[in-house]
Amino acid sequence: MSRSRLFPYWFLAPALVLFLIFTVYPVAASFILSFQKFEAGSYAFNGLNNYIRLFNDEIFWTALKNTFIIFVFQVPIMLLLAIVLAGALNSQLLKLKGFFRVSFFLPAVTSLVAYSILFSIMLQEEGIINNALSYLGIAAVPWLSDGFWAKASIILAMTWRWTGYNMVIFLAALQNIPEEIYEAASLDGAGKIRQFFHITIPQLKPVILFAGTLSTIGTLQLFDEPFNLTKGGPADSTMTLGLYIYQNGFEYFQFGYASAIAYVVVVLVAILTFIQFKVAGDR
Amino acid sequence: MKRKLSMLLCLVLGIGLLGGCSGKADNPNKLTAWVWNVNVPVLEAAEKRYQEDHPEFDLEIVEMGTSDVYQKLTTGLLAGGQGLPDIVLVEDDRIQGYIDSFPDAFLNLSKHGFDEKKESMFPEFKRDLVSKDGDMYAFPFDAGPTGVFYRKDIFDKAGVNAEDMKTWADFIEAGKTIKEKTGKDMIGLDLNGDDGLYRMMLNQQGTFYFDENEKPNLTSPESVKAMKVHKQLKEADLVKNTVGWDAWISSMVQGDVATAPSGAWLAGSITQQGKDSAGKWGVIPLPAFEEGANRASNLGGSNYTIMKSSENAEMAYDFLEYFSTDEQTQIEAMNGGLFPSLTTIYDEDVFTNGVDFFGGQAVWKTLADQMTDIPSVNYTGDFPYAKDEAVKAQSQAMGGKLTIEEAFKAAQKRLKNRML
Repeated sequence: MSRSRLFPYWFLAPALVLFLIFTVYPVAASFILSFQKFEAGSYAFNGLNNYIRLFNDEIFWTALKNTFIIFVFQVPIMLLLAIVLAGALNSQLLKLKGFFRVSFFLPAVTSLVAYSILFSIMLQEEGIINNALSYLGIAAVPWLSDGFWAKASIILAMTWRWTGYNMVIFLAALQNIPEEIYEAASLDGAGKIRQFFHITIPQLKPVILFAGTLSTIGTLQLFDEPFNLTKGGPADSTMTLGLYIYQNGFEYFQFGYASAIAYVVVVLVAILTFIQFKVAGDR
Repeated sequence: MKRKLSMLLCLVLGIGLLGGCSGKADNPNKLTAWVWNVNVPVLEAAEKRYQEDHPEFDLEIVEMGTSDVYQKLTTGLLAGGQGLPDIVLVEDDRIQGYIDSFPDAFLNLSKHGFDEKKESMFPEFKRDLVSKDGDMYAFPFDAGPTGVFYRKDIFDKAGVNAEDMKTWADFIEAGKTIKEKTGKDMIGLDLNGDDGLYRMMLNQQGTFYFDENEKPNLTSPESVKAMKVHKQLKEADLVKNTVGWDAWISSMVQGDVATAPSGAWLAGSITQQGKDSAGKWGVIPLPAFEEGANRASNLGGSNYTIMKSSENAEMAYDFLEYFSTDEQTQIEAMNGGLFPSLTTIYDEDVFTNGVDFFGGQAVWKTLADQMTDIPSVNYTGDFPYAKDEAVKAQSQAMGGKLTIEEAFKAAQKRLKNRML
């Protein structure tokens, strides 16, 4: 190759080197790690034992179940809420749009830890939420100390944080739908609700797919909220796959086992994304 | 080749971004130590005193959070000793795990002459904790002999004499009286998050998560007995739910709860955070399960280790031998609320004198008296799993979803699977 043909590769090199070191290498290394076990000071090949152990691990199944419960409830609620909010903010009738947009998006830029700590303070047994409820004559809710309510708290916190983020994505997409379609529809006598379901939703489909996929991956990797709010408790009722990977890796230092769980998550994300593309993306 | 590659890496990543790339420190007599908060001033003071005889000695103290120390330590050990300091502080409940998993990483102190005479300066349970196959791998430092810290003002108001609480049954009865007379809860517990009281009760009965053969022992009669006391406290409505450290401490210094069974180190925390409550405190040994049974137990404590990979292991050994057996250093540690495990100083004035904060009671003496009676128990490298499962069992049993026996049986099963 001549000197000039090589030239662009020199520009690519730094990015490529970083990509190889920090992306390709860890992905490959952790895959190899998932077949290894640390014993007496060094790693030894362990065959499929990490994966076999995984299938007999009650905590793993609990984490999987919890993750799916949160996924099934949280993602649809959040996406629906985001679409409705985006629709409202896109309306010509609304004033102070900028203010509302910023307000709803604000949670997405706050620090994850800060917001989790804030929620954990509010959700304490004598916290502000229970105080407010007691004014309404409702008995204190054991937000973080009961299995059911702990899951609900996590869903609540996640919805607060991510709705605005998805809303902004939808809002951008909404603004790309030509106004003429709506005009034509209203001339044909379609009401606002009909327009929403027959124009807005179909036009948004690729974006909904995009937001849905992102949320799926996000939920399967869910970590911050259970880590900061409940530590996976009480009694594993908010243990998630992400948290379990962290615990095994960085609290118990079983990197091999943690890698095995991580690769199960990878497979799950691939399957779920594939299903979503099959169901929604017929293009 | 490898060197060239690593140099290239340093260049690519920007020099200075990763401290690991820089060359070895300029001073060959310099040691590095990783410790957390209250240990820093103790180590600093010891360094100054040691320098009087060893003027060339230089110690770089790196202060980190406790969990950061473990993360960096483990990562370094997994990377074959890269980026590790010479000296690391490790807590009692972690030390066995490290010696087990990394048998070649820590300096064998017995082989270096930490001889029988020195060994006799520390209580047996503490020596067992840092030993594997008869050799010691860490210098015992602070310990956590337990006691019931209680609020005299609340006890007085209820007309209960704390010294009369000789058994856990007495403790519950006293709690009922206090609740009735003052409306205050007897104890603050985080039943979903921590099992400190349960661990103290196990240790007190000479047992632990694991039996003498390192097999999970959560279903033992002692374990069930300990959890029954928890249940009785809960059912008599004597427990305040205190989630997390801050809530627990503040419930005590604000006088919302009457007692806190805990390790000696609690004295430091309540003295610092509860200045207004000075003079209102007392300490008694843990109540026993039966009249006359053992009352001594331990909760928490830490030890100094030397990395085998250290280039200055000899110097580190010499310094830490001095540090761990020098009486003045150990007495200074008490200013930060740390309780030394060096037994030779227990008849010093600091121990036998009354403490104003505790209304003139010689609390250090009360706690030091426990040290010789603390049973040795098995922590093993699987401690973190066992603790996790024990907390879950406690949460389920207290929540009433399972009976105590069922909860421990399920936890035992999970624990066995996790130890594979």
